[in-house]
Amino acid sequence: MYCFLRLSVLLVGLIASAGSYAVNAVQPLTTADDLGPKVEQPIEFPHDRHAGDAAKGGMQINCMYCHTYARRSIVAGIPPLQKCIGCHQSIESVRETPRIKKLFEYWEAKKAVPWKKVHDLPDFVRFNHERHIQRFVFAQNKPVQEACGYCHGDVKTMTVARRQKPLSMGWCVSCHQKDHPVDATSTKTTHGPNDCWQCHK
Amino acid sequence: MSITNLLENWSDFRQQHPSDDRPHREYKWAMSIDLDSCTGCNACSVACYAENNLPVVGKEKFAHGHSHHWIRIERYWDNDGREFADQGAQFLPMLCQHCESAPCETVCPVGATNHTADGLNSQVYNRCVGSRYCNANCPYKVRYFNWYNYPTIDNVWPEPMNQQLNPDVTVRSKGVMEKCTFCVQRLTVAKSDARTKGRSVLDGEVQTACQQVCPTGAISFGNLVDPEAKVGKQWMKQQVDLNKDKQAKDAAEEAVKLRGYRILEELRTYPSVMYLEQLRESAI
Repeated sequence: MYCFLRLSVLLVGLIASAGSYAVNAVQPLTTADDLGPKVEQPIEFPHDRHAGDAAKGGMQINCMYCHTYARRSIVAGIPPLQKCIGCHQSIESVRETPRIKKLFEYWEAKKAVPWKKVHDLPDFVRFNHERHIQRFVFAQNKPVQEACGYCHGDVKTMTVARRQKPLSMGWCVSCHQKDHPVDATSTKTTHGPNDCWQCHK
Repeated sequence: MSITNLLENWSDFRQQHPSDDRPHREYKWAMSIDLDSCTGCNACSVACYAENNLPVVGKEKFAHGHSHHWIRIERYWDNDGREFADQGAQFLPMLCQHCESAPCETVCPVGATNHTADGLNSQVYNRCVGSRYCNANCPYKVRYFNWYNYPTIDNVWPEPMNQQLNPDVTVRSKGVMEKCTFCVQRLTVAKSDARTKGRSVLDGEVQTACQQVCPTGAISFGNLVDPEAKVGKQWMKQQVDLNKDKQAKDAAEEAVKLRGYRILEELRTYPSVMYLEQLRESAI
């Protein structure tokens, strides 16, 4: 009887552990399926045309020309409509294309373009764009597109941006745990801050 | 924070005793409250409600002890056998003492409350499962539990009141513990601004909400590591040592005028809040 009990306990334990193993199996952090949802934007903004390589017909505009707040604020913000118009009022060649026509409709109606959020973090997370840009672009002299791409993926090849990375806590930590050089010339390394209150609020 | 990090650097997150071999490197946030200046006006408490999205629970729930005042004014009446107290009430603002060796941290079953590198006692709402063990172990009774779903079911912030919620602070849901954070949302902003400028936070650059509104300036807050900080000078002047559980004041003769003390210091919690004894006599 006891033997039977012991065996059954063992069996239950085995099944339970096998079950939990399946649940805990490590998911690969970035897979092709790990993309975020497709976001319908009011204007299908072609990132590839603006920021893409010249060889592929892009204008190679710096990310921070439009997303200007990223380097000096916690949030990257949305570029104001003036920014678009500032260039496009003197680009006659595309003025009559459907997307630019739509853009100027917003401008004439004095309304902001209702862009949708693509990279949306939960409310309990604090992510500081400024610190990341200051560190990677200004202290370590990394190319802007590479630094932004750590979290946003290769935006210069996309039209409407789509979330490329999981933006989960484990994914953030996978980078914060690594040792990185302090600046471009130094041999000293350090890792990102790792106490809970740095990001959780 | 991953579990590997938590286990590998256990000693950084769970300090048993403050020690000289692992000092605070850049920041150690601390406070001092001058009870002689405190008039018990409750402005600090109101400011805390506004800053930290604290729900106003109403009379009934307050009577059940379900209130959420992260900083509260405790009143003490020294009647001394008479019908009315000679000096009126004495006031003591009580908030999380951010103990260096916090009793709440050691008992949390899920590691939701930790010690940060800046000497703060952190509470991570996402990780909290609501065992309330920390509250039971806190000698100051400054941890508050969300018994109700205030933002939704209780609707504490109906339209358009929700517009006044601070976006830098989470609105806590039912079943989590919460407490004073020393306005960590302000500290984080000040720290990252300072780091972009390539220096540490200067004294006076960051204020807690309670400090900011105190009409008599009874509360001072700052970085104890910074030799220029007002709070550090106050601690020094009162000969209060963060890492000791007995201060010079305890041994001092009558002639030595030391006012600084920390509450329930003998429990070896090593609090980060120093109180300055009341001197003024006879308010009435």
